[in-house]
Amino acid sequence: MIVKAKNKINIFIVDDNKVFSMALKADIEDAFADLVIEIFTFETGEKCKRRFMQVMPELVILDYYLNSADFGAADGIKVLDWIKQENEETNVIMLTSDDHIDIALKSLKHGASDYIVKTETQFRKINYSLLNFFKMMEAKVEARRYKRILAALFICVALLIIGVTAIQIFMPSQL
Amino acid sequence: MNNSESENRNLNVCDLKYLNDLMGGKKHLVKGVLDVFLIQIPEELQCINEAVTKINYAVIKGYAHTMKSTVSIMGISCLTDILQEMEDLSASSTDIENIIMLNQKLNLICNKAIEEIENEKHNYV
Repeated sequence: MIVKAKNKINIFIVDDNKVFSMALKADIEDAFADLVIEIFTFETGEKCKRRFMQVMPELVILDYYLNSADFGAADGIKVLDWIKQENEETNVIMLTSDDHIDIALKSLKHGASDYIVKTETQFRKINYSLLNFFKMMEAKVEARRYKRILAALFICVALLIIGVTAIQIFMPSQL
Repeated sequence: MNNSESENRNLNVCDLKYLNDLMGGKKHLVKGVLDVFLIQIPEELQCINEAVTKINYAVIKGYAHTMKSTVSIMGISCLTDILQEMEDLSASSTDIENIIMLNQKLNLICNKAIEEIENEKHNYV
């Protein structure tokens, strides 16, 4: 895998189908074996909410039809709204069995970073999306590092200029 | 693989090749999914049967939808069209007779799948 693991990445899978969640969890762990990833699975958005504030996951893989069998449960869009309200930084990949453009647009409009249709190639698509996400995370970390280096460099140059100016003012004969 | 094993595989409703590939051949992971399947499917069948008896289209649609993901992972391809049809019919709240007939097929195939997986599970210890 191209991306390098530095810090642990927490991922939530929220899907009311336990077989699907287990298979996806195992597949991600296998595909990104060289990364430090912890995956939590939840059957409902309500259960995910309870743990969300403690873990603050970097990524949530969320099923659109969370209430397909449990009609009292919150649907994917409601959970997505809640996640974005609690932490704008958390990325959400929305999953659905329906290939409807309306659902895709709705998910993206509500802040999902990707939208994947559950088909035979679903796990491969999810892994590609995850790979992009990890690369993006790495790029952000690198950008922050360069920003710090640049700031340090700026301070050094500023101090040097101040030093030289001070010498020019107070001890002109030294130069 | 001898001939009888090959014939049995052809008669099977489940094809665990996809699941095995997904799990990277790790037997303990495959067994974990099989165990969950053996708990989940009878529960879902019971709920869908009750919904068909009560003619509750919304519940039939919900469970047919959920089961589609499960059967695709377990390689029960013969159920994909049946579940899709059940979902479509219940979405339009029509043709309960057809839904009953499809549900009978669903039960038959799921019970066969459960039987197969109960037997197959021992190979993943």
